[in-house]
Amino acid sequence: MQQLARLLRDFKKHNNGWLWISLLAAAIILLPLLAILASVGKAPNENWSHITEYMLKDYVLQSVWLVLFTGILTVLLGVILAWLMAGHDFPLRKFFRWAMYLPLTIPPYIGAYTYGNMFSYTGTVQTTLRSMGIKLDQAYFDIMSMQGAVFIFTMFLFPYVYMITVSFLEKQSGSYIENARLLGRTPVAVFTRVVLPISRPAIVGGVTLVAFEVLSDYGVVNYYGIQTFTTAIFSTWFGMYDIESATRLAAFFMIGIVSLLALERLLRGHRKFSATTSKNSPLAPIRLKGISRWGATAFCLLVLAVSFVIPVGQLFVWAGWTYEEVLLTSDFLEMTFNTISVAFLATAFIMLLSIVVANMTRIMNNSFGAALAKVLTLGYSIPGAIVAIGVLSIFIWADERLAPLYSWMGRGDAPLILSLSLGMMVVAYIIRFTATGYNSVEVGFEKIGLKYMEASRMLGIGFTRTFFKVDLPLIKGALLSGTLLTFIEIVKELPLALLLRPFNFDTLATKSYQYASDERIFSAAVPSLFIIAVSLISIIVLHQAGKRVV
Amino acid sequence: MSIVAINKLTFTYSSKKLCVIDDFSFSMNKGEIVGVVGESGCGKSTLLRLIAGLETPLSGKIDISEVTVVDSRTFVPPERRGVGMVFQDYALFPHLTVAKNIEFGLHRLSRSARSARVKEMVELVALAGMENRYPHELSGGQQQRVALARALAPKPTLLLMDEPFSNLDAALKAAIRSELREILKKAEMTCLFVTHDQQDVDALCDRTIKMGERIAVQSERISS
Ligand SMILES: Nc1ncnc2c1ncn2[C@@H]1O[C@H](COP(=O)(O)OP(=O)(O)OP(=O)(O)O)[C@@H](O)[C@H]1O
Ligand SMILES: [Mg+2]
Repeated sequence: MQQLARLLRDFKKHNNGWLWISLLAAAIILLPLLAILASVGKAPNENWSHITEYMLKDYVLQSVWLVLFTGILTVLLGVILAWLMAGHDFPLRKFFRWAMYLPLTIPPYIGAYTYGNMFSYTGTVQTTLRSMGIKLDQAYFDIMSMQGAVFIFTMFLFPYVYMITVSFLEKQSGSYIENARLLGRTPVAVFTRVVLPISRPAIVGGVTLVAFEVLSDYGVVNYYGIQTFTTAIFSTWFGMYDIESATRLAAFFMIGIVSLLALERLLRGHRKFSATTSKNSPLAPIRLKGISRWGATAFCLLVLAVSFVIPVGQLFVWAGWTYEEVLLTSDFLEMTFNTISVAFLATAFIMLLSIVVANMTRIMNNSFGAALAKVLTLGYSIPGAIVAIGVLSIFIWADERLAPLYSWMGRGDAPLILSLSLGMMVVAYIIRFTATGYNSVEVGFEKIGLKYMEASRMLGIGFTRTFFKVDLPLIKGALLSGTLLTFIEIVKELPLALLLRPFNFDTLATKSYQYASDERIFSAAVPSLFIIAVSLISIIVLHQAGKRVV
Repeated sequence: MSIVAINKLTFTYSSKKLCVIDDFSFSMNKGEIVGVVGESGCGKSTLLRLIAGLETPLSGKIDISEVTVVDSRTFVPPERRGVGMVFQDYALFPHLTVAKNIEFGLHRLSRSARSARVKEMVELVALAGMENRYPHELSGGQQQRVALARALAPKPTLLLMDEPFSNLDAALKAAIRSELREILKKAEMTCLFVTHDQQDVDALCDRTIKMGERIAVQSERISS
């Protein structure tokens, strides 16, 4: 009885507009995902046995190979580069330390069609070789393959591993590594025996991000003709028009992802990115000498060339050939406008919900609040295609329920109004990218703590007014960087946009992908460069934010 | 009239740990100035936070001005308790100037009354001429004085102070103490404050409570 009364009191304590908006946000994110899971309970239709027999096993295997090989290679490349930057000094190190983030500005699907074309029979590489009189077997240039896709993912995603590992090594590893060096271990031994094991949590964190990106990808695998789980969902949806089976596929896929997340927890051990000793001294880099000195520079230069300079250069060349034609067609303006307005709308909602929930959870400070935060950031680990299916099934369900209303309004008997609207895309973006905005806002709130809010409330200002008078001005910076990062994620996004855009609605990403798929690769260059330019801003923001933290 | 009445208060920060405050009862009359003493970590700040409404007790009841503000069914939020507080770490708003910090709780006053009150407070804590500085441009002692001024400005019925003089030098401390006592008595404010300094107790308090033992020990002020 007492317990119940207290529970009611604590509920009343937090019962305000903020709580209800938070619950709404959680519902928006959870409902579509639950709708997908619910489909497992339904009896499968006649396509399902066909799908399981002819597609499922291959598709799962291809997805697993892709994630596995990309994972291994990104870890190798990312950690070697991180160790080189953090533990050594060589010419241009400062520049490379930062420049190695640049590959992240190129979405893998853009990298895929750029390299795909460069290596084709009529592409830059082969024509150049032929003009020099070198003739090689076509098989050497077969980039449109599993190996090719792994190459593309590795080159454009390794910075995730690099980014987390390098800052971990710089800040936290000093004492271990200096000890190992003092004990006279060879550089290779230091790397394999010390650097790799102690940076495990950072590496796992980075490679998990890589895995999510690979699993979520549609652009690369479809362009290279590789069958993965995501393409299976696409072809069931658009090839067979069987949304039921597509949803079922998505459900199994999601269960797989959840297991993967559990595995990550396990691998990371119970610790987070912080090391175990209290003596976390920064690492002092040693100067490389002789050949290795310039070798390091050359290696970094090579990586940067392959993963950034060459593709961007190639895109510029193509853009030079086509910019007049592309820019002058009136729909370029239109799709830029579309891209910006959808991204803007979704970002506005995301930041609003993030602020409300983050502010609510920090005063609740209990397991309910923690669960709320988890739910809000859930979408980041769910591939775009799955989110799309979930949102679509909820919207179709809503349209069915609203059918009487529609016919009463004179809109016909069974029209699809909500599920053909832009709203669907916006909701899907909210689900998928709230994590980006939320994390920034949360960091902002963590930095200021609760004391200013408490001081304000002790002066008679309520929770909501306190937010506007005190918290908001103090988290402005975090809010701004969160907004920018979210906006850019949405601008780059491809699979959700492809699946959910209303008829005849093109964004920069969908259009450039379409150009590429239609063998009009040169026309894809201009919108691609646009996307890369916008992404560049996000790297600069991240870099600045990082500098402020240090 | 009793301004604060605490009955069998129990509180813990986490259910796994021992209770920071266990079965604590205590009351204060209007206009009283009471010191809270006790060794570091015994729960003095926690007691103040419970009265303020910044923490919620496990069980027990708190009345302020004969209205129940918290028990197992009620919870009045901090902004509606009419309680002012000087925080141990000041918590001055970093984005506002000294004057704006002091003015923050005066939203119910008219504009002219507001600026008059700010001026009065600034003079009390001897910060005239620094109204337009930001908190990070002040020394620790100056920040502490702004925190004091900010809490006093709205004339709360109950003022809670967490070591309000810890960062002041002896001369300033003495000056502020005597003036503070006058102000508190004139405005009939009730005040509960945490201190480690016996001189504070002698100069300001009507009585003290000592925390740390299971039952708070009370001692009367030896009136001169
Ligand atoms: N937010 C918190 N979470 C968990 N435990 C806390 C928290 N704040 C304080 N404590 C613990 O509660 C106990 C009482 O803390 P409190 O701050 O009330 O002590 P205090 O008497 O004010 O000490 P001091 O004189 O050093 O300011 C301490 O043991 C402290 O470790
Ligand atoms: Mg204290």
